[in-house]
Amino acid sequence: MADERSVVELTVNGRPYRVEVSPRWSLADVLRHRLGLTGTHVGCEQGVCGACTVWLDGEPVRSCLLFAVQAAGHEITTVEGITPAEGLSPLQEAFHRHHALQCGYCTPGMLLTAEALLRRNPAPDEATVREALTGNLCRCTGYQFIVDAVLSMRPSGGED
Amino acid sequence: MAQAMRPQMMGARVSRVEDPRLLSGQARYLDDIQVPGMLEIAFVRSPHAAADIIYMDLEAARQYPGVYAVLTYDECPVWLWDKATYEVGQPVLAHGEVQYVGQPVVAIVAEDRYVAEDAAELVRIDYRPRTPVLNMRDALHDQPHRVHAHTPNVFFHQEYQTPGFDEAFRQAPHHLSATFRTNRQTAVTIEPRGTAAMIDPASGRLTVYASTQSPHRMREDISRLLDIPEHLVRVVVPEVGGGFGMKANCYPEDIVVARVAQMLRRPVKWVSDRTESLLSDVHGRDDIHDVEVAFDADGRIIAIRDHLMADGGAYPAYPFSGAVGETSLAARVLTGPYDIPHLATVIDCTYSNKTPLGAYRGVWGPIASFIQEGVVDRVARYLGLDPAEVRRRNLIHDDQFPYRNAAGMIYDRGSYRESFEDALALIGYDEFRRQQAMDRQQGRYRGIGISVFVEPTAMASSEAGSVGYESCTIRIEPSGRVTAALGLGPTGQGHETTMAQLIADELGVNLEDIVILHGDTDSAPYGGGTGGSRSGPIGGGAALVAGRQMRERLIKYAAHLLEAGEEDIELGHGEAWVAGVPERSISIRTIAETAYTNVRRIPEGLPIGLEVTARYLPKRPVSFSNGTHVAEVEVDVRTGIVRVVRYAVVNDCGRLINPTIVEGQIQGGVAQGIGAVLLEALNYDENGQLVTTSLLDYLLPESTDVPQMIIQHRETPSDGEGGIKGMGEGSLIASPAAVANAISDALAPFDAFVDTLPVTPDMVLAMVQRKGA
Repeated sequence: MADERSVVELTVNGRPYRVEVSPRWSLADVLRHRLGLTGTHVGCEQGVCGACTVWLDGEPVRSCLLFAVQAAGHEITTVEGITPAEGLSPLQEAFHRHHALQCGYCTPGMLLTAEALLRRNPAPDEATVREALTGNLCRCTGYQFIVDAVLSMRPSGGED
Repeated sequence: MAQAMRPQMMGARVSRVEDPRLLSGQARYLDDIQVPGMLEIAFVRSPHAAADIIYMDLEAARQYPGVYAVLTYDECPVWLWDKATYEVGQPVLAHGEVQYVGQPVVAIVAEDRYVAEDAAELVRIDYRPRTPVLNMRDALHDQPHRVHAHTPNVFFHQEYQTPGFDEAFRQAPHHLSATFRTNRQTAVTIEPRGTAAMIDPASGRLTVYASTQSPHRMREDISRLLDIPEHLVRVVVPEVGGGFGMKANCYPEDIVVARVAQMLRRPVKWVSDRTESLLSDVHGRDDIHDVEVAFDADGRIIAIRDHLMADGGAYPAYPFSGAVGETSLAARVLTGPYDIPHLATVIDCTYSNKTPLGAYRGVWGPIASFIQEGVVDRVARYLGLDPAEVRRRNLIHDDQFPYRNAAGMIYDRGSYRESFEDALALIGYDEFRRQQAMDRQQGRYRGIGISVFVEPTAMASSEAGSVGYESCTIRIEPSGRVTAALGLGPTGQGHETTMAQLIADELGVNLEDIVILHGDTDSAPYGGGTGGSRSGPIGGGAALVAGRQMRERLIKYAAHLLEAGEEDIELGHGEAWVAGVPERSISIRTIAETAYTNVRRIPEGLPIGLEVTARYLPKRPVSFSNGTHVAEVEVDVRTGIVRVVRYAVVNDCGRLINPTIVEGQIQGGVAQGIGAVLLEALNYDENGQLVTTSLLDYLLPESTDVPQMIIQHRETPSDGEGGIKGMGEGSLIASPAAVANAISDALAPFDAFVDTLPVTPDMVLAMVQRKGA
């Protein structure tokens, strides 16, 4: 290996990790290839598509644009971390019920963006949901069923 | 108990069985495959559109720590070349010259991708650049020169004309002409392409993990190109993050990866990054059509003449050139749903120094429906008629089915007029027209665009259909649970759900007791794969035929074991029983136990076990879906920004397997159509550099670009198995024309018509200013 390594300590999905990384490795690569958390997907490595979205201390970030060393000391949450031990989370269930995914590749990023929105604003209107999802590209669904799934999470059950 | 005989799953809005693994991050896509000792590849790609390779210095790369091999053409002398069809093939690694920016030249194999890319930067190649061929109209005349010296740039030419065309065209009272153009686009699956390969240590067979739509054809291609007997190659398709036709090809990288696994006897993987994807995934569209139309004073269209041109790029994509599909299919369906008696077409497909052209969802469709619907709107405006009324006057009548169009294609029955009228009602067409007039007085430019479409599906040959049939093996396990395997290559369409729905009805078992296998050539029977809107009608047809054969066998068992007549046996919910006597029943599980372990009780004449393989080849060479899309847009004439505000679809794809899945397909296709009209273009500069190499430059529709859609279904069954027609592409065939026509309608006060896609804001402003000045 041509480059030097350093040791990074970070918390992922509530579990502490101590991992040897190269300073140039992206957080996405470390999550996927060092920690085996392959639910985080890489779609563009240009910070545009949002497939690699994870939470850094509860806020959505692009894990392709962060180096793993930058995540040292922070709490990372991935799709595996918002999935209950048994079954699916209410938002995941809503995606299932509303057919909000097809190929599934953008889905983990969509879930993390949408879940963060709902924690901030439990009753967003449609325009707010669409605005929040603009940073997550989906090529299959045309977004409508994703928007429907997120809206169905409102206390009113989807009605405005 | 008669309800048990009726389909209960077909047509139901079943939630997908695929979803839980995808939602929880457990699905395994290509880049999630990680095997101890796995190496990774980075490609050195051509920075020139056209150049001779003078010299390569690979020493520094070879010596770089962590590098295992550096390959050029010399180490991998393989050509993607269908010599029976084309004069030209592509070496998987450039051989003496490069013909497009992004062409693979050198492959670096290293311990990981970071190291491979470090070493790639150490490769020194001297090129002598040539003048690239970039303009389609010039290329037609071999200007500025031939792309491939030994053969003309026009690699496909075809002419067709209906008898009496010239006279009919000449005698028509009115004529109009226009040139229609679509720019280059590409599929942009959110999961990039990728391939992994390894030698199975036990058997010595080559296993290739491929992100492809057509597993059996990929196996054939690898077997033939690398000269490995087919039974020693296994192709496994993991979860695929979108395909849209782009993953129907065999690519240079696929072959290099397989070759490296063979050479080094190490597992190896390559995954495209986004810049590579935009450079090297097959491009789509890129059509120019010079069109003339002849019509009468009532707006009835008599004849269309079209010179169809498409830029195939530097090499024919393997094993088919998208340019030939774009043009030859467009020529056959150019009259769409209209009864237009005369057609004359001339096709020219040309080479250029651009990325090879392949398939993108709806191949041929966006340009053909853009023309077909654009022509109708031009005729309407010329004659001062309402565009909807001109459509009524030209649409095929119900009593004309089966209808032979001017190019000789046979349309099976559809709901052409009904879906059209329903769609107008859904959007509130008449009310819109009243409102539109008032809006214009206030300086608001809203427009409505209608697109009545036909979608040829389940074609005997299509981009993925290496064969015209599909196969299904159904095995009822000794436990009574069902395993069914098909040769399909789903990329998000939900075949594990829809195929199980069809089989559940036939066998009378519960959906959760069925598992659908696909994408592994070791378990799936030989099939064509997914593409060309064939999986529902042909794959589904195979599932139905295999299901029916298994059902007959279960009935024989039940009749024998229950001592009843076969005609009295009913199946449902995992049981078989005597009609009217539900207590005389036997479970499928008991039947399966008998078939495998209690073989002395097997009815005479039946084989041991419960396994059938059926193949389904539709009787018709094609089945036509149809429908109508209506888009409403608002154009800001000060900024040139177009917003799609309302959208209505009436879709008829025969009998529905799962309406929710069909709606998802439609919504996704409409979003792609909005992208095609407003956003997406691969742009080359004057040196042949692709300047749209990130998703900041190549813009995809976002959630705020796509409106809520209203969707209605009509069901005119095909006469194929299950009455199913295909529907994967119709939404992207229809939507570009609907949105483009809506913009033209909004800009009618400026005498403008959209003739080039995409329509960017500066183009809108130019249309507005042309008249305003």
